[in-house]
Amino acid sequence: MAERRADCSWKRHISDQLKLRDRVQRHTFEEIVQQYNRLLEKSDLQAVLTERYQIEKYDVQRGHEASSLDASRSDSLHQEMSQMRIRHQEELTELHKKRGELAQTVIELNNQIQQKDREIQSNEARMLEYQQQIASLEGDCRDLRNSLQELEMANQTLKDEYDALQITFSALEEKLRKTSEDNQELVSRWMAEKALEANRLNAENEKDTRRRQAKLQKDLADAAKEPLPIEQDDDIEVLAEDGGKGAGETSPNRPISRTARKTSQQPQGGLLDSISNIFGRRRSANSFGTSPETTEPPSGGCAEVRVPTTALHVFEAHDGEVNTVRFSPGSRLLATGGMDRRVKLWEVVAGRCEAKGALTGSNAGITSIDFDSAGSYLLAASNDFASRIWTMDDYRLRHTLTGHSGKVLSARFLLDNARIVSGSYDRTLKLWDLRSKVCMKTVFAGSSCNDIVCTEQCVMSGHFDKKVRFWDIRAESIVREMELLGRVTSLDLNHDRSELLTCSRDDVLKIIDLRSNAIRQTFSAQGFKCGADWTRVTFSPDGSYVAGGSADGALYVWNVLTGKLDRTLDRNHSSAINSVSWSPSGTYVASVEKGSRAILWSDM
Amino acid sequence: STMADDKDVLRDVWFGRIPTCFTLNPDEVTEREAEAYYLLLPRVSYLPVVTDKVKKHFLKVMRAEDVEEMWFEYEGTPLKWHYPIGVLFDLHASNTVLPWNITVHFKNFPDQDLLHCPSNSIVEAHFMSSIKEADALKHKSQVVNDMQKKDHKQLWMGLQNDKFDQFWAMNRKLMEYPTEDGGFRYIPFRIYQTLSDRPFIQKLFRPVSPDCNAHTLGDLLKEMYPDALTNDGEQKRYQVLIHGIEPLLETPLQWLSEHLSHPDNFLHICVVPVPTD
Repeated sequence: MAERRADCSWKRHISDQLKLRDRVQRHTFEEIVQQYNRLLEKSDLQAVLTERYQIEKYDVQRGHEASSLDASRSDSLHQEMSQMRIRHQEELTELHKKRGELAQTVIELNNQIQQKDREIQSNEARMLEYQQQIASLEGDCRDLRNSLQELEMANQTLKDEYDALQITFSALEEKLRKTSEDNQELVSRWMAEKALEANRLNAENEKDTRRRQAKLQKDLADAAKEPLPIEQDDDIEVLAEDGGKGAGETSPNRPISRTARKTSQQPQGGLLDSISNIFGRRRSANSFGTSPETTEPPSGGCAEVRVPTTALHVFEAHDGEVNTVRFSPGSRLLATGGMDRRVKLWEVVAGRCEAKGALTGSNAGITSIDFDSAGSYLLAASNDFASRIWTMDDYRLRHTLTGHSGKVLSARFLLDNARIVSGSYDRTLKLWDLRSKVCMKTVFAGSSCNDIVCTEQCVMSGHFDKKVRFWDIRAESIVREMELLGRVTSLDLNHDRSELLTCSRDDVLKIIDLRSNAIRQTFSAQGFKCGADWTRVTFSPDGSYVAGGSADGALYVWNVLTGKLDRTLDRNHSSAINSVSWSPSGTYVASVEKGSRAILWSDM
Repeated sequence: STMADDKDVLRDVWFGRIPTCFTLNPDEVTEREAEAYYLLLPRVSYLPVVTDKVKKHFLKVMRAEDVEEMWFEYEGTPLKWHYPIGVLFDLHASNTVLPWNITVHFKNFPDQDLLHCPSNSIVEAHFMSSIKEADALKHKSQVVNDMQKKDHKQLWMGLQNDKFDQFWAMNRKLMEYPTEDGGFRYIPFRIYQTLSDRPFIQKLFRPVSPDCNAHTLGDLLKEMYPDALTNDGEQKRYQVLIHGIEPLLETPLQWLSEHLSHPDNFLHICVVPVPTD
């Protein structure tokens, strides 16, 4: 650092010294010398001019001499002049040259200026263009902004609407929920009310029944107090003679006289108990009342059902094949129908069947027998294409219903006892009105009808084509069809008509729940085979057993609840069993066979 | 700004002027009285180159037969035309009243003292030989020999026509040196004394000491002409003039050679007695 400053100092010293020197030696004299020299030139010129004038003045006088002198002088003058002229010319040419150069420079500069002007113009033109572009772009920009704004507004509107809809929706949801709650509440309340109603009804019914029972008991008690004529030879034979009269089982008094004797044959307990058993209370010993389907209404429920174990009475029922057998509603009478064109009536007394009489009129074999609900009439279908009705009190033929064009295989009273439905080999079912005794309706079933059962609204028919057809009585049309695995040979309903028992040629019995139309139970057995297309099977009165006869002559009894074979009763029949009937009392089971035999069974 | 200062120094050196009054020798035969002729002479040039006007001026008043080779004289001392004008002035008239009065002679050429100079080409030859001599000292003549003939011509023309840029365009090459050397090989210088038989002192002298210190003007004088220096306590007896100024003794010699040399690349140093009045 110090060195540099030292550098600077000697350098500066030299620089200053030089400047000082120039000031002293040059600047002070420059101007003066110039001026002096110019003056010198001028004076030289003056001298030259003066000389010339003097020469001219003395020119004439001096002649040659002077002229030589003058000449030399003028020579020198001329020389000086010419020198000066040369000098001036030189300066002039120099100045001209300089002027030329300057003019050239001026031209060049002008050109440059013009070029710059052109550039400026073109730039301005471009700027104008750009400005226009900018203006148009601004316009576009504005338009776009406007459209954007519009879209935003539309979007906002949609959003608002959506929000509103959301609110509405949630409000409606809430409303729905509330309504559902209300509905549920109402339904439960209604159900409760209904339950109450039902309970009340039940209670009333119970009360009513109890009242009736009480009355009955009282009546019976009264009746029992009456003295009865006791005759020793009052036996079945006597009954057989006046069977026509005594068969009316509508009065409760008669069974009382009978049962008074045969207490040993009767179920255990007193007189009143037996009466009660027939008409009222349900003994839960053998009947299973656990499932709702088998709940029996107080009226029509049967008493004690006994599974048969022994053949009480084996007897020849007909001359020839016995096709059908049925107990009367009161269980007193047994009716059998055979190929000998007769319906034979038997009184069931003390474990024996006493012949009471025969119903004639049919021109061909009897295929099925049905009693009306009171037991006053007997309906028999026949192979002579007709069905016949006899009155039970006088055994007289009342009606013959003709119209079928084939064997009538089954005929039933409808529950109102005013109409009859018959099914025939001619593939039709006919509905008959008993008052007018005409066929009201004929429906074409499509297949030969083997058996028929009726409920209040429905007629069910089992057919050759394995189908069970359900007919609505009012609508007179098929409601349903159910197909089994074999030709349907038999149909039976349980006491409350909630279950349908079918038997088909595949040797299987089935119970169908009529409410759900589902097969509840299937029964089969090792040796069980249907002997014919008209092999009839039956429920027990309480619906807890089913019984059917086999082709080998054995009676099979199955337990409905378990579905298992309860009993096999063989070595009694000698040929195929055609039909089985269970007494409404539950006490007896009757079976008839191909070989004209009939057997009464019970469990003692 | 040192660079700018250096350039300024170069310019100041080049454009240095001495106001001179040329008076015709009274003994010359004239037809009429000759007025004195004033001229600002360039320090760095030579008398024959710049005195055409002077000759012309005085020839006006003289007869041709009376005119021989022109020569100049100051206070009886014939002025050697091969010295730079500045050197002549500093040596003979540095502390005199300006303008420098030079007497012009056209007769009695002093052959003992002066060289004849019939034309400018002689001056050119002398000038170029000085340059070559200087370069021999500085660069072993490598730079000047690398130059072409036109470059040499450019140097002379630049000087003759007083064209600083034209001259220095070429001269700067002669002022370059390899940076590792720190300077020229030897410094071309001449020390002139007034009262001496010797015309000048010229010896070999390096710009950098063996221990890489830069030599100064003082170092040179101590070596070459110690009497020129003033010892402590003594009164100053001599002035050491270069281009009419007294550089400080601590000025680096290398720098002086680069910037204060004459166009002939020599550093001309005049040692004159301090004026006594």
